[in-house]
Amino acid sequence: MKLALANVRKGKSATASLFIFILVATLLLNIGLMVITQLSTFFDQKAEQLKDPHLVITMNQASYHSDYEAFLANYSGVKETETEEVIDMNLANYYFGNGEVTNNIIIFNADTKRAIAPAMRIDQLNSFSGNDIFVPYSFNTDGGYQLGDDFTITFQAKQYNYRIAGFFETTMMGMNNNGVMKVMLPEAGYQLLSDQIDSDAKGMIISVLNKDKSTASQLKEDFIGYVERFQSVEATPSLMTLDIIEVKEVSTLTVNIIATILVAFAVIIVLVALIVIKFSISNNIEDGIVNIGVLKAVGYTSRQIISSILLQFMLITLCSGVVGIALSYALMPIIGGIIATLTGLLWVQTIALTVNMVSVFLVALCVAVVTIVSTFRIRRISPVHALRGGIQTHNFRKNHLPLATAKGSLHLLLALKSMLTSSKQNVMITLIVAALTFATVFSGVLYYNIASDKTAFINLFGTEPANVYIAVQPEANTHELITNIEQMNHVSKVNIFDLINTKIDGQNVYTNVTDHYNNLENDVVYQGRQPKHDNELSISWVVSKKINKGIGDAVEVEYGAETASYLVTGLSQSIGNLGQISSMTLDGIQHLQSNYQGTTLYVYLAGISNKEFMSEIQKQYGDAIIETLDIDENIESQTGMYTAAVFAVMVMVLIITVIVVVMILYLVIKTLIIKRKKEFGILKAIGYSTFQLMNQIAMSYLPIIMIGVTAGGGLGYFFTNPMLSLLLSAAGVKRLSFAIHIPSIIFLCLSIFVLAYLVSMLIARQIKQISAYDLIIE
Amino acid sequence: MMTKTIISTEKLCKTFSSGGNQQHVLKNLDISIAEGDFTVIMGSSGSGKSTLLYALSGMDKPTLGTIDFAGKNLAKLTQDQAAIFRRNHCGFVFQQIYLLDNMSVFDNILASGLLVTRNKQQLVKKAKALFQQVEIDEGSWSKFPTQLSGGEAQRVGIVRAIINKPKVLFADEPTGALNSAASENVLNVFTTINRAGQSIVLVTHDLKTAVRGNRILYLKDGVINGDLSLGHYHDCEDVERSDKLKHFLAEMGW
Repeated sequence: MKLALANVRKGKSATASLFIFILVATLLLNIGLMVITQLSTFFDQKAEQLKDPHLVITMNQASYHSDYEAFLANYSGVKETETEEVIDMNLANYYFGNGEVTNNIIIFNADTKRAIAPAMRIDQLNSFSGNDIFVPYSFNTDGGYQLGDDFTITFQAKQYNYRIAGFFETTMMGMNNNGVMKVMLPEAGYQLLSDQIDSDAKGMIISVLNKDKSTASQLKEDFIGYVERFQSVEATPSLMTLDIIEVKEVSTLTVNIIATILVAFAVIIVLVALIVIKFSISNNIEDGIVNIGVLKAVGYTSRQIISSILLQFMLITLCSGVVGIALSYALMPIIGGIIATLTGLLWVQTIALTVNMVSVFLVALCVAVVTIVSTFRIRRISPVHALRGGIQTHNFRKNHLPLATAKGSLHLLLALKSMLTSSKQNVMITLIVAALTFATVFSGVLYYNIASDKTAFINLFGTEPANVYIAVQPEANTHELITNIEQMNHVSKVNIFDLINTKIDGQNVYTNVTDHYNNLENDVVYQGRQPKHDNELSISWVVSKKINKGIGDAVEVEYGAETASYLVTGLSQSIGNLGQISSMTLDGIQHLQSNYQGTTLYVYLAGISNKEFMSEIQKQYGDAIIETLDIDENIESQTGMYTAAVFAVMVMVLIITVIVVVMILYLVIKTLIIKRKKEFGILKAIGYSTFQLMNQIAMSYLPIIMIGVTAGGGLGYFFTNPMLSLLLSAAGVKRLSFAIHIPSIIFLCLSIFVLAYLVSMLIARQIKQISAYDLIIE
Repeated sequence: MMTKTIISTEKLCKTFSSGGNQQHVLKNLDISIAEGDFTVIMGSSGSGKSTLLYALSGMDKPTLGTIDFAGKNLAKLTQDQAAIFRRNHCGFVFQQIYLLDNMSVFDNILASGLLVTRNKQQLVKKAKALFQQVEIDEGSWSKFPTQLSGGEAQRVGIVRAIINKPKVLFADEPTGALNSAASENVLNVFTTINRAGQSIVLVTHDLKTAVRGNRILYLKDGVINGDLSLGHYHDCEDVERSDKLKHFLAEMGW
């Protein structure tokens, strides 16, 4: 113990660096593991606590039949069902976060007594008014709303103005990314609205609570089958169904990805710490070889000496590990805030003692293994050998870059000579810098694609990146309107791009319809191709898996009362619409509905703002249009939460990268100055200036940092997409091609490189404090 | 013929402070060193010989006073200005030799030479000539310093010190770590280069070394106690010269 403490005191800077590395690693690992292990339980417990349904089904009131609830109530495994009237505003607009979004809003009567999902308010105003509305908590965490704020819903060209009187938590229909949002109006407001809207918007909702939530998906399928059979003569009613399993998957996906990134980064930091330990032990053995000889000579066994070193590192690891765990709890409110943004649920942090112990244990185990392996050579050192100075600190078998013949400036050559004499250290620095650069590039690419050039990110959702969406009146002539819009100034192109509900081999599938898929910007097909002919369609891999059909197979598509057979030409991917999408041509859908002409137009603009165009089109063709929507703003609003979360991750990675680069260089250069103090003294004596020596030191690290940065940048360039695909595979992503913006990567790499140079120069300034005379007489 | 003064000091003082105690090592020294001289500084241990040598060479700053060397007051130079001054005007030979042991013998010389000239070809030629002059055979040029004997290493040290044609060569106990045969070789080199016009300031407490100088300064308690002119050294059989030095040192209480 005394030996261990003496070693800690002797290598203060190495101890401090190691302490920080292990602290950061344990902190990240603990946060990551706590989130990963607690998120699923947290979501389930929230659902239970809020008594949220495991399955919700909404339909038009006209389509509702009391037998539906009877079917559900009698279904094996169903614990409770509840049916109530709601107002169903399909395609309603409202402001959320950075812009306007279009969503399906289900409005509940807040004063109805209900056993399922009674909506627990987590914050509300003290006084109420006639136009109050209660909204999910995500409106506060992600939507930017505060209590008392105005909230306007635009539905069927009418505006409904409210004041936000409270926020409630819900696991179902509480986030924009589910495509449906639940809000509540007090009795008076609800009745007033109910009187104002068309009967089309009057809906029914059936909430189901199962004994086992995992059976919700099967129940959903069986219920849809039942409704089809029930209404065999007429067209199947349009149902909106949502089960808790799919909602949980969507809500927790991003949080899980962020937690995984934290754990991955923690692994990188642990590796850095292990490399530092290896380096530190090798140095200590070389520098303290005589001490080892003395200890062995007076009777210490190798085991005792190794144990003292092991104890030294275990003491540091345990102390910093405990501090790291404590700090992780201090930082959890920030992570909780991110979780609240991404799930719309109030994160409650509990003590996770097992996870904490696992985090410290994993780090301590790695440290112990590396320490034992690194100290193993002590066993081979004989006392006599050690007392004589033992191992040479340098092996000069080769005079690298002889000054007489090598090309280059004197200082560069001296820097390179210095670099070439410490190959082990070079490998260490290269590995660390490469790992950190990779992490930085990875997070940079992630951020670039989510915050700057969103094309690839949006593609994942299956969204077509046009600028303005136009819903055409059913009685209007769509093709004539397209021709007119195409002739307007600043319009690049116009596509029909409908999203309709169909059934493919009995499964409910969202189907896109357009006339030419080549005209679209986003090709969601990753295998095969989009349909070209009227008897073709593409399906998502989720649908493919469900119906067990692939490319070349024929499928039965049902739309309205008609059914037709189509050939599958491609497999597509989409995170949106729960991954259940297909694509057909306009000619193709006309087999099912001969007068189908398309009712949604996607307009691509150049040189005009979306709002300006929307105002212009309303002015010119307002009669033919139901509504217009700013797609860019909608996307901005929908992706706002991801941007904030990924920005937080990127900032964290950048900060840690800077800290690690600074600390590693500090450790290495400080050791170098101490070890080569005499040599620097000689060089100063013969006329080298402090700046020249500082420059030599800094330059001697530049080639290896350059190699590390290039390797890390290269890895980031080639492996960011495969790694992200792997992380997102659970969410239905089969192919991912995030834009790798080379100038950004080069900028990041150059920044790390310049940072390393400046830090090296700064640390090497220590030479200035010591005169040539002092260095020589030491 | 009037000799030209190359270094002169005025009221040169050096004081070391430690834990509140002050130690006055050099006290108001007024010294002048003539060009072409082989000046030997002697004195007992702790008399301030090395302190004076390093102050005269711009390696260390005096506490008070001025040091005029090649038209510059060394006391006023910053660390980097002093470094640039040293590379252009001074050469150093140390007792511990202090070659850079991570470089070959040849690179040790070039690392010093290339600081002053960019003409690598000419420098290499000059280094080779100097190696021949100090009798370092070609086989040793690519060796590392640790592979040389002490005498060889010190002769390499001398080549490094004179590669830039310094105005003054400063030597601090250059034979202190060498055996007598090696010392003799090294001293012969000093004598040879001095005869060729190289000014030398050398610190020693060794008689055999001191006798090579033409001027002996004796330092005692931080002041110059004696200044002996010996004339130029001819050969080791010059008993009279040796006796004169011994007599001087006896007078100084050595």
